[in-house]
Amino acid sequence: MIENEEFFINNDDIKLEAEFFQSSSKTDVAALLVHPHPQFLRI
Amino acid sequence: MYNNVVSAVFNIFMSNDISCLRFNFRAVGRSTGNHSSGRGELSDVKACIDFLINLKKVEKVFICGYSYGAAIGCSTVNHSEKIIGYASISFPWDFIGPKYKKLSQADKPKLFIQGDRDDVANFNNFQKHYDFYSNPKEHKIIKGADHFYGGYERQAAEEVFRFYKSIK
Repeated sequence: MIENEEFFINNDDIKLEAEFFQSSSKTDVAALLVHPHPQFLRI
Repeated sequence: MYNNVVSAVFNIFMSNDISCLRFNFRAVGRSTGNHSSGRGELSDVKACIDFLINLKKVEKVFICGYSYGAAIGCSTVNHSEKIIGYASISFPWDFIGPKYKKLSQADKPKLFIQGDRDDVANFNNFQKHYDFYSNPKEHKIIKGADHFYGGYERQAAEEVFRFYKSIK
């Protein structure tokens, strides 16, 4: 199941929008996927 | 939060029951704040890593970034010992500046995926940049793919997942 997440960056007043998929094995190696920035794909 | 390449990678991890997190940088989508030319975006990625380790209690983290996301994401590889390595898809070395090339250097496993028709992350300069990195490393050239991977998303995602399985 995909969980919608919102969390604050420590010591910063910024909230990040995220999606998290939790595997059935909670101790696996999780993947962090980093998007391109829209500003940089406007090429 | 949609991007064809990142979504293909997200889907292949989900379909194999691997935990994965994707997010919008500050000032993108419903994320707050302002674009900060890299410094703040590095903090965004580090916050995601800390979120996975501290709140989701994962034991290890694998990073995969595409384009600007490759430059920023892979540059956090040494943020934690729990990061096992990364996959970079079309790292834009030529226009992002040397800072991120240095930050993404690591003795952890690295995969570099590159389209041979990419003129943004210019394919002609790929080997020069690739040679900068220390082992362990490998690369995959996707024939026919440009920077946007239209029609080649699945192939790129399969390479990322194969690499993930090989190092986990």
